[in-house]
Amino acid sequence: MNDEELLKNEKLEKMLSPHPFSFMKYQSICLFLLIWGVVFGWLVNFSGYKDMLTEEAISISVWGAVLLIAGVIASLITIRWSIFFSYLIIFLSGTGLMLWLSWTALAGVFLPFYTIAMAIFAFLLVELYRRSHKYIISNQRIVFKGGVITKEERTLRYDKISDINAKQGIMGQIFGFGTIIPISQSGFGLGADKSFAAGGVQMGTKKTKLFGLAGGEKEVQTPRSRSYFELHGVHPYKEVKKLVENLVQGSVITQYQQEQVDFQKEQVDIQKQMRDLLKAQSGKEEKEDPSKEDPAPPEK
Amino acid sequence: MEGSAIDIVVFAPLAPILGVLLFWFLELLFTESQKFLLEKIRPKHEPLCRFTNFLGILYQTICHALGYTITKSGISDFYLSVTYGKVAPKKEKHGLFEWVSNVFLFVGPFYLPALLLFIFAIFLITNGFDTTTPSYILNFQYTTGGQLTAFGTNLNDFARSFFGFLGNIDLFHPAHLGYLFLLIFFGLGIRPSYIGEKKIDKVDMIYDLKNIWSLIRHKPLYFIILISICYVFFYINLYLNQNFYVVLFSFLGWLSIVSIAALIITHLIIVLIYSVDKLEGKIRFLPYVVIILSYVLMRVIFYYIKTDFANSLSLLVMIISTAIITYILIGKQTNKFKTKKNIKSSKKSKPGENDE
Repeated sequence: MNDEELLKNEKLEKMLSPHPFSFMKYQSICLFLLIWGVVFGWLVNFSGYKDMLTEEAISISVWGAVLLIAGVIASLITIRWSIFFSYLIIFLSGTGLMLWLSWTALAGVFLPFYTIAMAIFAFLLVELYRRSHKYIISNQRIVFKGGVITKEERTLRYDKISDINAKQGIMGQIFGFGTIIPISQSGFGLGADKSFAAGGVQMGTKKTKLFGLAGGEKEVQTPRSRSYFELHGVHPYKEVKKLVENLVQGSVITQYQQEQVDFQKEQVDIQKQMRDLLKAQSGKEEKEDPSKEDPAPPEK
Repeated sequence: MEGSAIDIVVFAPLAPILGVLLFWFLELLFTESQKFLLEKIRPKHEPLCRFTNFLGILYQTICHALGYTITKSGISDFYLSVTYGKVAPKKEKHGLFEWVSNVFLFVGPFYLPALLLFIFAIFLITNGFDTTTPSYILNFQYTTGGQLTAFGTNLNDFARSFFGFLGNIDLFHPAHLGYLFLLIFFGLGIRPSYIGEKKIDKVDMIYDLKNIWSLIRHKPLYFIILISICYVFFYINLYLNQNFYVVLFSFLGWLSIVSIAALIITHLIIVLIYSVDKLEGKIRFLPYVVIILSYVLMRVIFYYIKTDFANSLSLLVMIISTAIITYILIGKQTNKFKTKKNIKSSKKSKPGENDE
């Protein structure tokens, strides 16, 4: 953050970025690709199964099937279909490229290298995404900055923070990073876990049909935000958490301070009333004693 | 059947138990040594030590939970973190059930990682799992000597096969490479206790042994019951002339061998990390590069020069070259302040001679 961006009396406390392992869920997708690329290369070229995989169609099918099945499993576990679609794109583009270049005979060499290359490319993308995050903690506010192409920014003043959610996974506990979600009074930083259940029944024969459907939805509020709008995977976690909590605490009026403010307000009110009373009294006296308005000239 | 009655009835059942105890104690020594080495590298490798702590605590909590499940106590609370693990039973059971769940907690972490490694090894090792009693001891297999010989033979066969596999491990084979990673992964966590955050919390081998000893001392009856069950099982085997008794203890011995192998490999890695830590600058990555380069180079050479020992020789060259390179680099960097001339000879020479 430049000095120009700082507000009046604003002091920079910390400037943070997510830890390199904080995006492990994305990195694990790349890691799987890398491992599968190596294993597939070994299976097709060196293993005892290589005779079974000499047929291009079979080797492409095996490669694609494993990729897509892994995508479906990962998507179901994380409830994130983007993983499946990423693998689908890799599968389709790989197959398409091979057919377009007429390299089907080289499937055993092309596919492992293509998978490894895609894994490295994906790793670089994740790293680029990670590096696009910047969190600035000052004595007045937290500024969240991010975005690879479209730049996003969120500013949160400490007096607007109503709640702080902090979480640390196993990787975070090992490497000392964690995620801190400041929840604003407007509810920014909260997400919802939704579960939906539905049932249907069809009765009757060809002529009369009865169809019924019943469903229900349950929603649970949970602290959740995009990595651009939370302190995602910040290191050192405990230190940052304490700093943010102290800054939030510092901007909150305590009960004693509130009592003092109320007392001062009361005092001001009393003083105002006294002033009005004095004004009113002096006005009355002036009306009652007009000689005061035109005092006699002093004797010479 | 040969052998005296007292030998068969009293001493023979003890032989495999003592054998297992011996191997378990060896495992404990290796575990302690590993903890000592991890303590040494802790200041520079805090995350690695936290990771090994987590593995150790993970095995402990799983074993404790397993103990509560087997004793039908149920699990009401399961908490796991890098520094602390806790399992609370649903029903507080006392007596034998509590004792059994504690046995799982204290002894389980020694065998659980090894059991998992053993299961994976079954898919990679073709022989060594033979448990048939050797023909030359058939006549006296239920004596102390016979039991020890059968136990030793089973362990010897497995150890030869297992270490033979490790000595010929093909790092270009994904399954072999994966197994090596698993050995390191599980080996780092084989311990019944963790490395404490502070010195005061440090728990060592004596602490572990004390725990086990107090478990036996406070409830000697349960320990006697456990030993009696072993004896009864031995007598049933004797009656049926089926030596499953040795097989059972041999299996525990195999697990100890797997654990010891994993611990040896992790020792090598920790020693390498400890040695490389002495180096400064980018040159400290050189020993790690040498590991990969030397192995790949040897495998390429042996691709053209055919030999039956390509894998083992490549491994050997890899280990030796890494050790030599590390030794040379450490020597070069840490000998900076040593004078080229012998200090004694400098002292002997007259002042003013060396001024030039």
